[in-house]
Amino acid sequence: MSPEVALHRISPELRPLLCSVVRNGRVGLDSTNCLRVTDLKTGCTSLTPGPCCDRFKLHIPYAGETLKWDIIFNARYPELPPDFIFGEDAEFLPEPSELPHLVQWDAGNPECLLQLVKELIQQYHHYQCQRLRESSRLLFEYDSLLEDPDYGHNMEIYAGRKNSWTGEFSARFLLKLPVDFSNIPVYLLKDTALDPGEDVALLSVSFEDAEATQVFPKLYLSPSIEHALGGSSALHIPAFPSGGCLIDYVPQVCQLLTNKVQYVIQGYHKRREYIAAFLSHFGMGVVEYDAEGFTKLTLLLMWKDFCFLVHVDLPLYFPRDQPTLTFQSVYHFTNSGQLYSQVQKSYPYSPRWDGNEMAKRAKNPFK
Amino acid sequence: MAASISGYTFSSVCYHSANSNSDHEGFLLGEVRQEETVSISDTQISTAELLQVVEIHNHDPCAQLFSFYDYAGKVSEENLNSILKDRRKNVIGWYRFRRNTQQQMSFREQIIHKQLTQLLGVPDLVFLLFSFISTANSSTHALEYVLFRPNRSRYNQRITLTIPNLGNTSQQEYKVSSVPNTSLNYAKVIKEHGAEFFDKDGVMKDIRTIFQVYSALQDKVQAVCAEVEQSERVKEKIQEDVNKLKQQIALRKRKTEEEERKLCEAQNADSHSTPEENTEPSEASLLSRITFHTPSAPERSRIMFHTPSAPERPSTSPNPPSYADLLTQDDSLPSSSSSPPTSAALLPRPQAVGSPGHPTPGPLGMGLGLGLSLGLSASSNPVTTPSTPYLGNGDGSSSDSLDRQAAGQEDDDDDDDDDEDEDSSEYENLVSEATHLPMVTASVLAQGRPAALSPDGDARGSQTT
Repeated sequence: MSPEVALHRISPELRPLLCSVVRNGRVGLDSTNCLRVTDLKTGCTSLTPGPCCDRFKLHIPYAGETLKWDIIFNARYPELPPDFIFGEDAEFLPEPSELPHLVQWDAGNPECLLQLVKELIQQYHHYQCQRLRESSRLLFEYDSLLEDPDYGHNMEIYAGRKNSWTGEFSARFLLKLPVDFSNIPVYLLKDTALDPGEDVALLSVSFEDAEATQVFPKLYLSPSIEHALGGSSALHIPAFPSGGCLIDYVPQVCQLLTNKVQYVIQGYHKRREYIAAFLSHFGMGVVEYDAEGFTKLTLLLMWKDFCFLVHVDLPLYFPRDQPTLTFQSVYHFTNSGQLYSQVQKSYPYSPRWDGNEMAKRAKNPFK
Repeated sequence: MAASISGYTFSSVCYHSANSNSDHEGFLLGEVRQEETVSISDTQISTAELLQVVEIHNHDPCAQLFSFYDYAGKVSEENLNSILKDRRKNVIGWYRFRRNTQQQMSFREQIIHKQLTQLLGVPDLVFLLFSFISTANSSTHALEYVLFRPNRSRYNQRITLTIPNLGNTSQQEYKVSSVPNTSLNYAKVIKEHGAEFFDKDGVMKDIRTIFQVYSALQDKVQAVCAEVEQSERVKEKIQEDVNKLKQQIALRKRKTEEEERKLCEAQNADSHSTPEENTEPSEASLLSRITFHTPSAPERSRIMFHTPSAPERPSTSPNPPSYADLLTQDDSLPSSSSSPPTSAALLPRPQAVGSPGHPTPGPLGMGLGLGLSLGLSASSNPVTTPSTPYLGNGDGSSSDSLDRQAAGQEDDDDDDDDDEDEDSSEYENLVSEATHLPMVTASVLAQGRPAALSPDGDARGSQTT
């Protein structure tokens, strides 16, 4: 159900509350998607006219799961606070005193419901952490992470209910990695069509059993970051070491990601340097170059009255990866009607040269 | 745990709920009782089952939401009291009505339930959840109701709620509920008209009369029991006597045979012909007359008589008259031929039967034979009255007389002269008997022969029934 439809059907007095939830509501670590509303129903008699829905199901992403909570208002008494049914978590019973927005419910404040939901999520998180106590191993993991200031406050834990077949206990940790993505060049992030939202990297570690013998880590990146880093295939995180623990593993992953990001940033700067050097060396011969991402450069050179084009493609992981030189003739056509071109990859090259050096050395292969 | 709600209370709750334009809640009043079922069977020791039954008699709807609790779900006791007033002690649960929601207790309901359990002091407070589901085009509406007892374990929370008499009462019994009737009008009417049905103690009059009948019947049964016991004892005694008599008869028979043998030998020596053929039947008739049948119901006849192996000996009749009857009847009934008055005290000596000359035994014997036959025949007439008093003395004396007879017999045996006399007289008797009492013997014989028993037996059988 799209937010607009939901807002249209809900009782007018409750509309502001729902609006803030649907439009701006982001709770939890995974805030790429807004909260979703489904199953809009009414508590009035069926003969009541007009939009009078006052109860719905709210889908909340949490720790890799989606919580489906029923929220029950009364359209005839819109000033009254709502009631909740916590779906399958029948044992989750938060203490009302921990929910200030419930105790001092203010129907006039449009943000009230959203705030209340956030508080409930917080209580839910505590409830799940309590459930971790069934497994000492996982509890240890949790406690150790809690102590670390980097991770302790950006954690969502879902302690799954025991598998009825095997009686196993499972849990999932969702951690927000404190990686700084701010220095990633803007252009790299621009290619995504959607609103990228906050750049975030989430590490989800699933423990399929209480003894942590089956652990499945997964890294979730926001789309722009993923694109900037070269797609989902580019980043492989190491497997969870058996017998290892999160407090060691998570920083490892974090470091890996940070390095990657650094590398990307460095690559950008290196490319810029390369292009700048070429520009200075081949000044007049530059046809065009990518001034934002510095990935391409085209030169028109003349060697003994022979004019040719040189296209330089700089890969993402430059300078590690060698740029590709494509020589293209301006005179000759191939059989298929294209300009004759020859790709040259193997030329003396070293990543350690700086831009100037590369420009100088590049003259040779041009010849 | 089982729960039931009366039909009118249920419909009243539904009415209030369906007419409200929002969620609706209220309290359930009633009582909880324990039922213990003890089942006894042959195969196992008795088991007792304890069942808690919750009965909902009435409900108390709340006028509005949040009437006794605040936004945080905290229950206010003053508000609770002002709503319930003096009905507070009858509260066994509360209910809530919500449209288009799941059949699950909500967050606030759970919080309130916990507090109510504590405040009202009902450990097993129940929660009735009504949920009204309508289809999108309002064509079908469903009212679903679930009764929870949230204070129990998580997996055992739902109880089935039965509504008695909801269904086809023509095939089921119409159940009367145990809801107390507090109507004043009802009490007034009952008081006015109650005297016609109830006596001063509040017990229905019919019950009393029935009970009186029952008591009377019980008394009669007790009396009959006593009579039965007595008759059984008499029967026992008579049985003993009969057994003794049989033994004596057997003894006597042996002696008779010996004497006859001797006589035969003697007569053979004299080359005398004796009517031996006659002896047989007369002996048989003698013996037949001697065997006494005591009165009995069919069972008794079955128990007691195994007649000796002589073929001519009559088998038992199903309803032979009592010895006492026999003797009295001898007096009362007209005999076919001369029926001499018999004295209950004496039994005739066997050998004297049929002898007209023999004063005591003769008539007696005759009488006995006749009496027997008469008695036997009398038994075929439905005249014997079972209610004649038992003559214990008669029994005793009869056995005594028999003993005397036996003794006399012994004496006779010992005494040769007597024996001879007796023998001769015996034969005379026998002969005379054969001549004088052809009818009797024949009749006796006829009756005595086992083959002839069946018609008589039938007659007697019919008499017994």
